[in-house]
Amino acid sequence: MCDIIWCKKEIDGKKCNTVNYLDPYCFWNWEGKVNCAECKTVYYIHMIQGFMYRGPEEVDEKPDTSPLYADKPLEGYTNYLPGIEGRTRPYECLPRDIYLGVADMVKFSARGRPVRGWRPQPPSAGIAGSFGFEWDIQKLTPEVWEEYQQKIAKGEVGEW
Amino acid sequence: MAEIRDVEINSREDTLPLMSPEVRPWPVTPPPPREEVSKVYAKRNAAKFGEWCEDNLRFEYSFGKPEALQGLKVLNMGLYRMGNKFCSSLLAEAGAEVLNIEPPEGDPLRKLTPFGREELMLEDRETGEKCGMDFIHEMRNKFSITLNIETDEGKEIYKKLAAHADVLIEEYPPGYMDELGLGYRQLAEINPKLVYCWIGVRGSWGPYKDKVSKFGQWTLEPFGGCANSFVHNTGFPQDQLPRGKGGDPTRSGVWFADYVAGEQGACSIMAAIYWRNKFSGEGQFIEVTGSETQMDILDFDIGWYGFNKSIKARTGGWDPNLNQYEWNPCKDGYMMIGGQTDRLWYRIGQCIERDDIQFGRLIHEDPFLKEMGARNALQALIKTYTVTTRWLRDMNRIEAEQKLLEYEIAAGPVLFIDEVSEFPHFKYRPWVCTIDSDQYGTVLYSTSPNSFQYRTPHRVKWIGRPLGKDNFLKYLNWLGMGQNVVRELKSKGVI
Amino acid sequence: MAKDMRETRIEDLPGPKSKEELEEMKMPYEEYCRATFDPGNEHEKPEPLRGVRWMSTTMYIFTPHSVSNLAELGAEVVKVEMPRMGDPMRHTSPFNEAYLYPLHDTRPMTGTGLGFLNANPNEYYITMDYHLDEMKEAFYRMVKMFDGLTECYRPGTFDKWKQSYLYLQELNPRFIYVWGGGFGYGPKVFGGSYDILGQAHAGLASVTGMHDFMGGHCAKHSNWCIDWYSGTQISFGILAAIHWRETTGLGTMIEFSQVQAATRCLGYAAPMYGRFGIVRQRWGNWDTQLCAHGIILCGKSDFPDVSNPQDKHDARYVMVSAFQDEDFKELCAITGMKDLYGKYKVHKDRVDGESQVEIYAALEKWAEDKSRSEVVKVLQDAGLLAEPVMNDREVYESEHFRQRGTIRYLDDPIFGDVLTQSGYSSGLMAKTPRRQNWIWRPVGADNVKIYHELLGYPTSTVQEWYDKSWI
Repeated sequence: MCDIIWCKKEIDGKKCNTVNYLDPYCFWNWEGKVNCAECKTVYYIHMIQGFMYRGPEEVDEKPDTSPLYADKPLEGYTNYLPGIEGRTRPYECLPRDIYLGVADMVKFSARGRPVRGWRPQPPSAGIAGSFGFEWDIQKLTPEVWEEYQQKIAKGEVGEW
Repeated sequence: MAEIRDVEINSREDTLPLMSPEVRPWPVTPPPPREEVSKVYAKRNAAKFGEWCEDNLRFEYSFGKPEALQGLKVLNMGLYRMGNKFCSSLLAEAGAEVLNIEPPEGDPLRKLTPFGREELMLEDRETGEKCGMDFIHEMRNKFSITLNIETDEGKEIYKKLAAHADVLIEEYPPGYMDELGLGYRQLAEINPKLVYCWIGVRGSWGPYKDKVSKFGQWTLEPFGGCANSFVHNTGFPQDQLPRGKGGDPTRSGVWFADYVAGEQGACSIMAAIYWRNKFSGEGQFIEVTGSETQMDILDFDIGWYGFNKSIKARTGGWDPNLNQYEWNPCKDGYMMIGGQTDRLWYRIGQCIERDDIQFGRLIHEDPFLKEMGARNALQALIKTYTVTTRWLRDMNRIEAEQKLLEYEIAAGPVLFIDEVSEFPHFKYRPWVCTIDSDQYGTVLYSTSPNSFQYRTPHRVKWIGRPLGKDNFLKYLNWLGMGQNVVRELKSKGVI
Repeated sequence: MAKDMRETRIEDLPGPKSKEELEEMKMPYEEYCRATFDPGNEHEKPEPLRGVRWMSTTMYIFTPHSVSNLAELGAEVVKVEMPRMGDPMRHTSPFNEAYLYPLHDTRPMTGTGLGFLNANPNEYYITMDYHLDEMKEAFYRMVKMFDGLTECYRPGTFDKWKQSYLYLQELNPRFIYVWGGGFGYGPKVFGGSYDILGQAHAGLASVTGMHDFMGGHCAKHSNWCIDWYSGTQISFGILAAIHWRETTGLGTMIEFSQVQAATRCLGYAAPMYGRFGIVRQRWGNWDTQLCAHGIILCGKSDFPDVSNPQDKHDARYVMVSAFQDEDFKELCAITGMKDLYGKYKVHKDRVDGESQVEIYAALEKWAEDKSRSEVVKVLQDAGLLAEPVMNDREVYESEHFRQRGTIRYLDDPIFGDVLTQSGYSSGLMAKTPRRQNWIWRPVGADNVKIYHELLGYPTSTVQEWYDKSWI
């Protein structure tokens, strides 16, 4: 009775033990059926001001929606990210078609020129960690410089 | 002791006169006394410092101190938008002499009132003329004169005024003033020391400059926010609320880009004055727009596209860059919680765990949430805020605030303006305050955040000004025009 | 005047003084603006705040921005950070995806997140642990050489470290000292603050977002706008204080609360509550004082087939404005809402709450089978004001901002090719334009430059402090 559903359904003699997170803005006032991301058991819930007014009650019907995220704290927190078909709800309002959630290693900007968006980077050569006012990319990271020359040759580097 | 009267209430309208500060004083309950506040300072070993601040920075002392921009002469020439109004307010609060020049029929902003309700406009005690409160609120320390610059005589007068001014703020459609022969390049001939600042929405030049409709209607906010991606990026995602019911791009509730343009205009003006006085003796032309100045403050949004072609999406009450850093619903509204560094993150958790032991199990022990940067991933936000809201739903904003403050967490309720006006700290400073005005009675207004200064605090001396109230004084002071001349020009429709 | 008073010279006559000036006077206005602001050639012109020196002992966005305005206007700014870690804002990045490397010389695997972008350009970056008595002398040396300082620590903290205004004004009476934070003296003096707290606490959130009856909640302004916006008001306070100091030679202390600045922009909210007891509410994408003047949802996206979800799903919104009588009449004629015009001829009637609900519903109904660009085209062709709600890609590709130089790539000396939307966009100045030279520098990158070259400590001392993590 809360806005997580800790699914205790027994499947093959083992408890499902998946925590389904019912995100607050979507479910704050909501009535309908929602599935467990792991075992796909469907629960009826009726939430008013964030409280389970009724449910979760197991029902044998199709779900109206799914949780956005679910994980299994007892099994090393393995999880289901948003948008896994049949398990979690898709999350469409994203900045790109690929969602990473970790640092994107970028070597070139949108217009194809080098930008220092990847790691590791060589240390500064200055006293007490001082940096100068140049990035001698040809010397420091010759492989990126090489890639850049190829991009120029292929005409992939523009003004914008 | 207040006078006791019989009143009859049959409708909402009958109650309106009873709400005025003359009848229902603000604040309803007094702010905490200074002795109480001294204890707060002492608790954190800052007794002496706290007292020093009180003795040297207090709002109430501002009138005994000098004004930073004393002697700076400013003309404000603009209609409708808040940009010119806010820009000139800042200069006027800092002590500049600002003349707000309006056409004889007045700025249309004077006529705007929420939902067209005339009963919510303030009436001039002498003339009975009604004025909208957005206009009154931003008409601080400003003189009002009228002038029809489309007449030949009006043009001449305008040039003479400009000859005396240090600063001219203009907010008319692109090229309008120039066409009249009153733009920067013409006025600079008369007064090369003039700092001239045009304020607009998207620009006075360029392929997407400000437009005027076929019928002469101006481009107003939120067009600025629509042109710089602010509106697109604000609001709830359709994954949290259905589209058409909140899950849409959303504008700011106020004309926010106008305010940002106004303050940046004021900064550019002061930088130009500094350069003029110190180095060159020359004035210059400045152009400030709402869409661009707001774009300046859109964090990294467009820069992010340049990085890896990301197009920022809406995230509602959550912030995609920090965790925790959001507001979520609670029993009686919304509660904001913030704390991103490890130290604060675990302190928030400790606070919540006192009531909800499972929070630690689900959040603190999750290995994916142990690293500061990793906590900003979408799934981390969903998880953290779901479990946090489960805690919040049990309590009112004030309870949550007290609990979190015990752990020294930056936390605050989403407050409405009545709650803002009565919040103890806010009325202690005060951040809204009442001021008597000759014409409009007692007005509650937001004070200047630059009021708390050791030497030259900014301040509000009066608020609201009837149309053309200062015609006689200012035309005499600035141009030596006697009352008969002013009267005559008025009858000719020039003033 | 010419020596011979009878001689008439062009420079003594009113009007243009030279052939070039005459040309300039005759130019079409737009061309004149383009020529006078001349984007892209900012560095050919002087900096207005040349010679001003400022210390930025700041974190996050609010107080840094109060200084970055000065740095863009040509002040020499030194940003002081905690050794190794730096400003916490460096550790923020949208969904943890965008970083530039390295954060610090000793941390090659840690980057600075884009959350840090635009808040501290053009500055020199040093580190210092103020807690230590050993560093006090260096701090005081700086105070004597600088015009002012902005700090954001909890009230009383700098006082405890003997570097509050009480101490510093004695070292340098011209010093302008700024404290920026959430609340300032008073009962909540120790309350911490962030942008989002300002939005929530000050009432801005209560008027932003869809109304309850529309199913909405209080919406956060997408950005840390209250941080930035309040920071700019500090910059204005600083510039006014510098102006005053030019005549009197005296500095000041400014105690500035960010939360208050958010209440400042609420317009009629405070006076309306004060006089009539009415509490301003959210009104979604419409306007409380103008109608029609709102954002509507169209049926179709402009880019249904592209992969980026923002283009694909959200290129569907149009800002429509026709509040004056003739404009509204035309709007009704063109969208087939003739009966609505008959009903709401007068602005006072159509701006009423219930009329607005009816009018925008009818507009969205009309737009149901149209794409965003179709709606914009129909309305613009009729001479009305209507514009698409643009996303970041569209803003990036906007020819307008490119020509005005307000969005441009910067060749950052350390980080390479970075897009900036900031600085150049905060206002065009014809004679003393703003500029950005670099976006930021690694933590402590200028320790030698400042401690050795400015403050005169031997490099061996600087290295020793560095090794001990004092700097």
